[in-house]
Amino acid sequence: MSETLLKVSDVATAYGAIEALKGVSLSAADGEITCLLGPNGAGKTTLMMTIAGILKPRRGSITLRGEEVAGRAPRHIVERGIALVPENRLVFPDMTVEENLRAGAFSRDDAAEIGRDVEAMFTRFPRLRERSAQNAGTLSGGEQQMLAISRALMARPKLLLMDEPSLGLAPLIVEDIFRIIRELNAEGTTIFLVEQNAHMALRIANHFYLIEQGRVVFDGTPGEVEEEEIIKRAYLGTEV
Amino acid sequence: MDEYLVQVLSNIGMISFLALSAYILLITGEISFGQQAFFAIGAYASGIATAMWGWGFWPGLVWGAAAAGAAAFLLAWPTLRMRGLFFAIGTLAFAEMVRLIFEIFRYQVEIDGELVGPNGSEGFRGIRYIFEQDISAFHYMLLIYAVLAGVLALLFVIERTRLGAIWRMLGEDELLAETEGVNRTYYKVLATVVAGAVAGIGGALYAHMNTYLEPKIFNVMLGVHSLAYGLIGGLGTAFGPLIGVGIDIGLLESARIFSGYRMIVFGGLVALLLIFRPRGLLDEAAVHALVAWWRNTFSSPAKRSGGSGRPPERPGA
Amino acid sequence: MIVDFVQNTLDGIFVGSSYSLLAIGFTLIFGVMRRLNLSYGPSIMLGTFAGTLLFVEFEAGLLAVAAATLAGAVLAGVYVERVCFWAIRRGAALASMVSSFAIWMQLEEIVTVVFPDRTYPFPPLADFALEPGPFFVRGDHLVMFACAAAITVLLHLLLYRTRFGLALRAVSRNPAAAAFVGINTGLVLFSAFALASAIGGVAGYLIAAADQQITPFFGLWATFKGLIAMTLGGMGSIPGAIAGGLLLGIIEAHSGWYLGTEYRDLSAYAVLFAFLVFRPGGLFAQRQTLRSQLAARRV
Repeated sequence: MSETLLKVSDVATAYGAIEALKGVSLSAADGEITCLLGPNGAGKTTLMMTIAGILKPRRGSITLRGEEVAGRAPRHIVERGIALVPENRLVFPDMTVEENLRAGAFSRDDAAEIGRDVEAMFTRFPRLRERSAQNAGTLSGGEQQMLAISRALMARPKLLLMDEPSLGLAPLIVEDIFRIIRELNAEGTTIFLVEQNAHMALRIANHFYLIEQGRVVFDGTPGEVEEEEIIKRAYLGTEV
Repeated sequence: MDEYLVQVLSNIGMISFLALSAYILLITGEISFGQQAFFAIGAYASGIATAMWGWGFWPGLVWGAAAAGAAAFLLAWPTLRMRGLFFAIGTLAFAEMVRLIFEIFRYQVEIDGELVGPNGSEGFRGIRYIFEQDISAFHYMLLIYAVLAGVLALLFVIERTRLGAIWRMLGEDELLAETEGVNRTYYKVLATVVAGAVAGIGGALYAHMNTYLEPKIFNVMLGVHSLAYGLIGGLGTAFGPLIGVGIDIGLLESARIFSGYRMIVFGGLVALLLIFRPRGLLDEAAVHALVAWWRNTFSSPAKRSGGSGRPPERPGA
Repeated sequence: MIVDFVQNTLDGIFVGSSYSLLAIGFTLIFGVMRRLNLSYGPSIMLGTFAGTLLFVEFEAGLLAVAAATLAGAVLAGVYVERVCFWAIRRGAALASMVSSFAIWMQLEEIVTVVFPDRTYPFPPLADFALEPGPFFVRGDHLVMFACAAAITVLLHLLLYRTRFGLALRAVSRNPAAAAFVGINTGLVLFSAFALASAIGGVAGYLIAAADQQITPFFGLWATFKGLIAMTLGGMGSIPGAIAGGLLLGIIEAHSGWYLGTEYRDLSAYAVLFAFLVFRPGGLFAQRQTLRSQLAARRV
């Protein structure tokens, strides 16, 4: 078992009076792909936003390699090495592809290295190089997802949070995205993934968590449990 | 009664109509910077009726309200598609146009060898009906409050009916209201017309108390103040805006300790309220709490529950 | 006949360039915050009074007066940002607008308390005129036009060539996305506000120097001219602000000449109203401004 990179303990986050996370505890091991499954409204995106610092937790602790980051500003969290690929991608539509990448490196100030990383992203995603001067809003969904991933990578994260990366994409593109996730992981980036597409997610994950109504209800290693059962529950929230 | 006190109370009463006018639109979710235009139209129309056409006071008042309501009806259509900020700027542009039109509007007749009527930026002198009928300032103040009580009663009835529920629903979430089958156009236009007429009544009362109208007093400052009254006092009930007027005119303008600094205090007060009580002193929660307290203290437990907190019935299209 | 028309258009463009400057600062705030700052004009007005204070009391030179105007406008702007925008950043956008109006009242009264006389002198900047052929162009109007052009270019460079510009554009488009790439959104908004106030300060200085006098009504005037010009050009658009300002200047010059001065402002408001009804996205309503209009609809 490898070392724990991210550790979330008893985190509760609320929108006004409505508590979306009711004490979530989980962890992501260094170098692995950890996957979070669960039905709509279970609190998956809320957890991602809380880890990224966009939402402030009411209680609980979030540590990255032992360092507490809960409640810190998003920019501190990016600097510590956590980058988010948000749900629905959220690229900056009227900035060019290259500007989007440079925005991703905002937490860094090593201009030469940033230039090299932009080049590296273009090598990894040749489509982005072709469209580097185009506004991001004109890209297709799949291209925007690649841009969102590259933008997050520009921060050189230790941990990459990915919120529903396959959402709304054609099956062929989804295959592509999952291939990229595996590649990134093989190169050493730890990945914490939220997915609706449980089949695909379980195929690449080292460990998974099931979340329902703001609580972790189950966790395990794919293969340990009948895959169909987990999937049924992830979609419908029925008992295992 | 002290002359100064009568004057202050009369001012509070008249400005209350304007504040209520802005309040009606606020509960439907619109911020208008232009209700002073209807105040002006009501003032001019009723003044023309009594001073130039020889009408009585009450027909003049009704005519002023009707003219303001009709103008609001005309404005309602082009502004229907403007939302939020655009509505605010649109109503502001309209009100400034109305004011500038009064700056050039000339319509005078000779009465007893004297020219009477609106004379552009010179203003409109000689609205002397109250003076000629020998009505004292004190009696006129009572009259203002009687009319105000009537309008308030009407608003309370509206708030208790389906119409009030639909207005608040439109203010909460227009899209949701429409999916519930609310005819948005109808209820928005209706709110604009009612708000316009209420401001028009205030204007008519103002014209007859002052006997003299000057276009430049109907500027945007007047409108934004009336808007601020609702926001200070609270949007939970029609009493909210009246509290706002009372605080500004009653306390700050009239209490002479603040003379010269009134706006510094008033401005700071509004800004602080928006930070700490964004829906005013008497917001919906406070009103509910007060109503509950009132029930618990003064009414027998056998009395029916519900009332103002009741969710709207499903309205038809 | 044609000479009048050209002269009016020229006058309109030169006066309009001051409206453009006002609208640029206005639209910059609206563009990044999606909120309207009604106190924009009064902040500038306070700056010009700081300038006149140095001029009247200490007979300060042009540079000192300009610096004081700028500093006063920025200080007042920062105060407005903290109270009306930062403190209620989680509240409704319209709350900021109403709050900024309340602070407007405050600023105006602070000025009238400190400066009880209505009108104060302001030092002129360029007291010369050019007469090319049958036309007449005031020197201070030329300076105004040049400054408007220079600020436009500088602002464009800042927005598209610097790290700050990148952050500003990111925050204006999507504050949440900007936050998780590591941008300090609060600081960016604050800086944008200060920058807009500084641009407003420049506009205020140039206008006051051209008029050679100031009154507390300048605040209302500046807010309205900026607001109209910004709306004509499309809220949140910088090229729109420039075009909107020029258009407003030209409309005013022509309507004032052909219809009479009492129709000047009336025509401007009529055009504004017509734009709101028929072309709410402004002069350059395209996909981009349409989108910002949609964003503003939820305001």
